[in-house]
Amino acid sequence: MDDDTPAPRRKPYDLPLPTPPDVLRRGPLREGTFTSALHEPRTAVVIGRWLGAALLTCFLTGLLSHVLQQPPTWLRDHLPSRPVNGYRVTQGLHVISGIAAIPLLGAKLWTVYPKLFEWPPARSVLHALERLSIAILVAAMLLEVFTGLLNTLQWYPWPFPFRQTHFWLGWLAVGGLLLHVAAKAPLIARHWRRVRPGLAQRRAFLTAVTASVGVVTLTTAGQTVPWLRALDLFAPRRPDLGPQGLPINRTAVQAGTSTVPADWQLTVDGPRPLRLSLAELAQLPQTTAELPISCVEGWSASAHWTGVRVRDLLDLAGAPADARLQITSLEKDGPYRVVEMPATYARDPLTLLALRVNGQVLDPDHGYPARIIAPNRPGVLQTKWVTRIELI
Amino acid sequence: MRTMRTTRALLVLAGLALTGCGLYGIATDPYIDLAQHPFDILRWAIGGLVLHDGLWVPLACLAGVTLARSTPVRTGLILAAAVTAVALPAVLRAGHHNGNPTVLPLPYLRNWLLTLAAIALLTTTWALLHHHRKRR
Ligand code: HEM
Repeated sequence: MDDDTPAPRRKPYDLPLPTPPDVLRRGPLREGTFTSALHEPRTAVVIGRWLGAALLTCFLTGLLSHVLQQPPTWLRDHLPSRPVNGYRVTQGLHVISGIAAIPLLGAKLWTVYPKLFEWPPARSVLHALERLSIAILVAAMLLEVFTGLLNTLQWYPWPFPFRQTHFWLGWLAVGGLLLHVAAKAPLIARHWRRVRPGLAQRRAFLTAVTASVGVVTLTTAGQTVPWLRALDLFAPRRPDLGPQGLPINRTAVQAGTSTVPADWQLTVDGPRPLRLSLAELAQLPQTTAELPISCVEGWSASAHWTGVRVRDLLDLAGAPADARLQITSLEKDGPYRVVEMPATYARDPLTLLALRVNGQVLDPDHGYPARIIAPNRPGVLQTKWVTRIELI
Repeated sequence: MRTMRTTRALLVLAGLALTGCGLYGIATDPYIDLAQHPFDILRWAIGGLVLHDGLWVPLACLAGVTLARSTPVRTGLILAAAVTAVALPAVLRAGHHNGNPTVLPLPYLRNWLLTLAAIALLTTTWALLHHHRKRR
């Protein structure tokens, strides 16, 4: 492959390994199995850069999402409730760059495929370790994009838990990427810039890969980017399809909340505890705000929500300004039946206990009789079917 | 030279640290529960590697030296493969929404076939023009 590369000099602390006997060099291990001129470092660098950028974007936006969903104690009270569309943009970007990584990963791995059959398989101990780290990188990347894509369809054919596995595989993939870039650094540096005249075949291949990234992005990003909605052909959601023109993550039937007890009341703890019926809530001053539902799965949709400011409820109950909230849903079970809300969100004038959406009383699937909707928050934390607000 | 050495050393350190975090996380996460399920993730990780490197890429290489001899055909096949990789799960899964009809609400099979047809049409037109131009 890279004939212009001198064989890397062995480091003094590295141990050489013997070359296996030549009779073992069969099949694809033989010289000249792969004839395409594109199995070469410049192509690997150009595609690698984009793939690396996509992976890092996924990693950073993914970490952010993780922190917002499960804030560590020291960070909990410093999470900002603005910008309103912050999480919508970062999580939308997470899924968009993850999908873009699919054709990039395919193209990259095709380009470097002959390296799998390198001879000798391991020149030295360090080279063997590098190849082990490459195996971890590729396995982690493949499983990461696969689990990520299927999760957006709520399809879980594997035996392990999605969220935790997808999170830790991300660390392995980025760790593997850094080791990979370190190992290839001189080669990458040598091929960072284009050398003229370019290779016509390479240009055609890179154009095809770019077009592929464009097509898969344009046909899926409509699940979060409003002006691409008409091109949404393959995304698992369309932001205008659902009860009251909005998708849902968990239906009332799934949550066991289709019938709300006739004597439903909202309880708010505090020095002056409140118990409010739906009619009493509707009597309180109402606020309308345009806020997005932004799902971890990468879709998002904006709507006009009307209801009582959470801040106003807290003031009525005499809660201190820095109180964190614990919000409980009527759901029987589920990991988000009880969630915490930091004071930054609770005190934001846009954070509502919504009773209506787009002018209509909430559909059971959107959380009738009352739901939380706050700016810059993952959808799973926007508690539906609220029954109790406590101070902690 | 000096900067290159420092950068590489830092990359190796950071890479090892992140890899270590990832392995430690998988080993200790209570939901993953590696002690009870030691091979679940490993089996899927190795399975993906084997299917990708042992089946998919050889097929792609084979297609490259047999079918895809011209730029238009090659481009068309790359586009079709990319679209299929992203769309196929939705096509296979259409209708399975666990009682939530807002999941997978679109006609995915139709959209996939139409997109493949559009790619085929474009690349055929391009191939014909290409051929024509070459002969003149
Ligand atoms: C997630 C990201 C990436 C994956 C999964 C990946 C995968 C691979 C694999 C499997 C190889 C063959 C390794 C071998 O045994 O020699 C390789 C080689 C290479 N990669 Fe990456 N890579 C990634 C990112 C990058 C990045 C960001 C760059 C540079 C900017 C890059 C540049 C290269 C180069 C120059 C080679 C050597 C190609 C040759 O010798 O012909 N890669 N990559």
